[in-house]
Amino acid sequence: MNLENNNCATCPAHNLANLVKLGIDMSNFDYVVALAGNPNTGKSTVFNNLTGLKQHTGNWPGKTVGRAEGAFLYADKRFKIVDLPGTYSLLSTSDDEEIARDFILFGQPDVTIIVVDATRLERNLNLVLQVLEITDRAVLCLNLIDEASRHKIKVDDRLLSRNLGIPVVPTAARQGIGIQELLKNIHDVATGKFICKPHRLSSEIKNVSRAVDELNKKISFAFPDLPNTRWIALRLLEGDQKVIDAVRSGEIGSLRPVENFSE
Amino acid sequence: MKNDTDEILLTANKLRWEVGENFHDSILESIYKDASEISSKVVIQDGEKSKFDLDRFIDRIVTGKWTGFPIMFILLAVVFWITIVGANVPSGWIASLLVDTLHPLMKNFFNSIQIPWWITGVLIDGAYLAAAWVISVMLPPMAIFFPMFTLLEDFGYLPRVAFNMDNLYRRVGAHGKQALTMSMGFGCNAAGVIATRIIDSPRERLIAIITNNFSLCNGRWPTQILIATIFIGGTVPAYLAGLASAAAVVTIAILGVLFSLIVSWGLSRTVLKGEASAFSLELPPYRPPRLLQTLYTSLIDRTIFVLWRAVVFAVPAGVVIWLVANIQIGGLSLAEYFIHTVDPFALFIGLNGVIILAYIIAIPANEIVIPTVLMLTALSTKMAMGAGAGVMFELDSVSDTANILHAGGWTLLTGINLMLFSLLHNPCSTTIYTIYKETKNVKWTMLSTFIPIVMGLLICFFVTQIWRLFVA
Amino acid sequence: MDPLLALLIGVLILVMLYFLFKPQRGLVSRLVKMKKDRSRELIEDALKHLYDCEYKGVDCSLNSISGSLYISGERSANIISMLEAMNLISNVENKITLTPEGRSYALRVIRVHRLLEKYLAEKTSVSETDWHVIAEEKEHELSREQTNKLAAQLGNPLIDPHGDPIPSESGEIPVRKGLTLNNLESGKFATIIHIEDEPKEVYAQLSALKLYPGMQIYLLENAKGRISFEADGEECVLAPVLASNITVYPIVEKEKVKESFETLSSLKQDEEAIVVGISKAMRGQQRRRLLDFGIVPGTIVRAQLKSLSGDPTGYEIRGATIALRKNQSDLIYVKRVDRKLVA
Repeated sequence: MNLENNNCATCPAHNLANLVKLGIDMSNFDYVVALAGNPNTGKSTVFNNLTGLKQHTGNWPGKTVGRAEGAFLYADKRFKIVDLPGTYSLLSTSDDEEIARDFILFGQPDVTIIVVDATRLERNLNLVLQVLEITDRAVLCLNLIDEASRHKIKVDDRLLSRNLGIPVVPTAARQGIGIQELLKNIHDVATGKFICKPHRLSSEIKNVSRAVDELNKKISFAFPDLPNTRWIALRLLEGDQKVIDAVRSGEIGSLRPVENFSE
Repeated sequence: MKNDTDEILLTANKLRWEVGENFHDSILESIYKDASEISSKVVIQDGEKSKFDLDRFIDRIVTGKWTGFPIMFILLAVVFWITIVGANVPSGWIASLLVDTLHPLMKNFFNSIQIPWWITGVLIDGAYLAAAWVISVMLPPMAIFFPMFTLLEDFGYLPRVAFNMDNLYRRVGAHGKQALTMSMGFGCNAAGVIATRIIDSPRERLIAIITNNFSLCNGRWPTQILIATIFIGGTVPAYLAGLASAAAVVTIAILGVLFSLIVSWGLSRTVLKGEASAFSLELPPYRPPRLLQTLYTSLIDRTIFVLWRAVVFAVPAGVVIWLVANIQIGGLSLAEYFIHTVDPFALFIGLNGVIILAYIIAIPANEIVIPTVLMLTALSTKMAMGAGAGVMFELDSVSDTANILHAGGWTLLTGINLMLFSLLHNPCSTTIYTIYKETKNVKWTMLSTFIPIVMGLLICFFVTQIWRLFVA
Repeated sequence: MDPLLALLIGVLILVMLYFLFKPQRGLVSRLVKMKKDRSRELIEDALKHLYDCEYKGVDCSLNSISGSLYISGERSANIISMLEAMNLISNVENKITLTPEGRSYALRVIRVHRLLEKYLAEKTSVSETDWHVIAEEKEHELSREQTNKLAAQLGNPLIDPHGDPIPSESGEIPVRKGLTLNNLESGKFATIIHIEDEPKEVYAQLSALKLYPGMQIYLLENAKGRISFEADGEECVLAPVLASNITVYPIVEKEKVKESFETLSSLKQDEEAIVVGISKAMRGQQRRRLLDFGIVPGTIVRAQLKSLSGDPTGYEIRGATIALRKNQSDLIYVKRVDRKLVA
């Protein structure tokens, strides 16, 4: 106890006093945070750590079904956090993926936290890259670094951050390690203190780059403010009805991030 | 603006012909190309991977040809043994508090402030007693079973069970994870049905939901044990009685597993033939489970959740139970009318009217079937047992219980049929409601309700006729 | 009652119930079928037949209608007069042709049919041989809204599982860009986009060669009377007549046509291989799931763990362990690799 008190006073990195877990009290929030990630990456543990709620977390792919919501207060700002279902992808057509995809696209969260398993980074990057195609504001939570070090795997988080263009925070959510840093980065991205330059798919998509480019040009011309025109083009080319409808109704044009709508 | 969007959609439609059918494949291919490029830059294998990989070692053992099955059976047996043995004591405590102490106290209190007897009956003897009974019988085993199950889950062992069992389940058109939802069903069918969420393939999930009721749940174990002790144990010499009745109960449970496989097979080839099916099973790395967190979450998530649903259903059922035993027309209660009407048919299939009525009015929870049966038997034989019409009761002594049942005309055949019928009848209303919640479909809910009950009636019928032909 | 008698009656009742409610051939389902009003079905099938004749450029007569619909001449005469009254066809001097309305009606029915086939292929586990039969039956039951909803749910597909284009809502049938195989130049790469299924004899020969839409080929030689190409690592030779039944689309970028390969299921424990591709027979959600797991061309997979009963097998794929059943790993093509080469 004593030791902890000392830490609180002197070491800001271990200072969780800034965080007030609000549980399910989601009134008057300033920012909306979405929590995405593959199944079984400790996403729910991160959620519980931030909100003080006790969602069940199991060593099972696909534990969280539907959407859970909670809230926390950090640095005088109220954050509402939405735990999306764990998915491997946002492109397939399962219900879970549609819920997650729709929230990130149409729910316009101020920040999307992507939780990944540090021991299985490559597989997890699939979802990360897909999320970064949709949204400009994201924080990568590199979870389970304790497990990674048990397997003698090291992840260069700074290099990863440079490659992805978003903040990367190594955490071990079960032990509460890194949560403070995560909060700071969520706050920075939400308030615009950190401007993300998210990675967009660099490799050419086989045989079809020309079609994508042509459509992309048309979309950026019609909606010059839209950050993710290329992704919209990809979705249109796949015949995604929700996106088609959003383009037809013009709703897609209103989906650019709103700067600091709390003020 | 309108023109722009139309133009975009038109172009998109034109271009879709160019990109062709492999578009989706190509997108993922390029995503993964980026992913592996990035991860090869940032992931560093720190020194040589140690020769001994604990995860692989555990995997080899739990999926080994000679070690896999024994480990699985031992673990499951231990879980069940701890549940059954460990639940007895707290169950007794709760029952003595809620049923033996609080119930008379409340009754006396109601009487002392001169509340009409029928209000006291409906509220205290009906609603309260049913809820109290459900809590005392249901809570302790679930509070023990679920955390243990959750510990195995958190450790990462359960996906390996699914992995091992998948071959068997594949043959009947189901998913290996059904082995787990079935095991969960041994604790509580409603919880088992919720657990089918781990199966992400629609067809296999429906099969798992519909067949979950064939797992002998917690509420039915006591019935099985009691009836087996009285009727099966009674047929053999005293020193074999315990063994024989235990064997009978285990046989019923195994029969349930067999039925679940047969019905899965049938469903996957008939009504569910066309439902979409996509197998996937990830084997997550092992992780040390955390005891306190697990205890907390499994208590909140599963035990309390399921218990609450059960209590909600038990209360109105308690009212109905009290009413049918107390509303009288021409000197006979509704219950007696029903019992007399159904008796010829029920006796024909080797049961009796009391059993049928008990299973109808005790639909909220299997836990209150035996107390209801005893109350109804006492009522219909005009025996001076228990605490009056409509008041469910149980007796501490097995031989007293046996006496009541014998007086009610029960035979060895009735006992065997009751054990079969207890396995094969409609799920409790909590489970039916949960099935509806999970499937959002009346058809599947009805199917899960009526398949077992039809099977139960048929099997009782055939057993009875064959019995009468050869034994009696 | 005598137990033996009861037993017999019981068994009898069960047998009777079985024959009464047996799916498809049971009495009840036969009754339902008989009672169903078939006139819409017949009208739509007749229109489809007429469209088919028009597409192939052959004349259509009363006889050909009754032949393809399996109905009597009298009945088809009835149907024809009904169609005429509805202004869907014109019947001039016994030459029956579709009116524009009739054509767009026919295309709508074809749209429903092909969408249904696509749906059955992607979203259900109905076997391939049943798709056509079921679609043939259900195509008459869907309303316009239901059809559009179905299309949206499927991601507005353009091509049915046989490689045929799906008409749009307004009844336009797009012409696919492409050329017949006999017009492809030597040394070019192309993808098969359609295989004509009429006449049957030709189709049987082509399908015996295991050619299917989506397959990539490399044309070795296009000489008079002889077209040779490489498909799935094997050399095929076709006469130009046969080749004209295959439509291909040239691939701009040069891509390696698959060499001879093994299936993932052939890997023994601890063996490694590179994924070459997933068979076209793996469809819908199942295919997407595998792609999500990272099973794409170029991925290294390793057989890590066999289940105690031998199936499924756990494969190490991009750092995760994924269990696949044998019937899945049979459809994933791999090439074995030397560990050193990969490193």
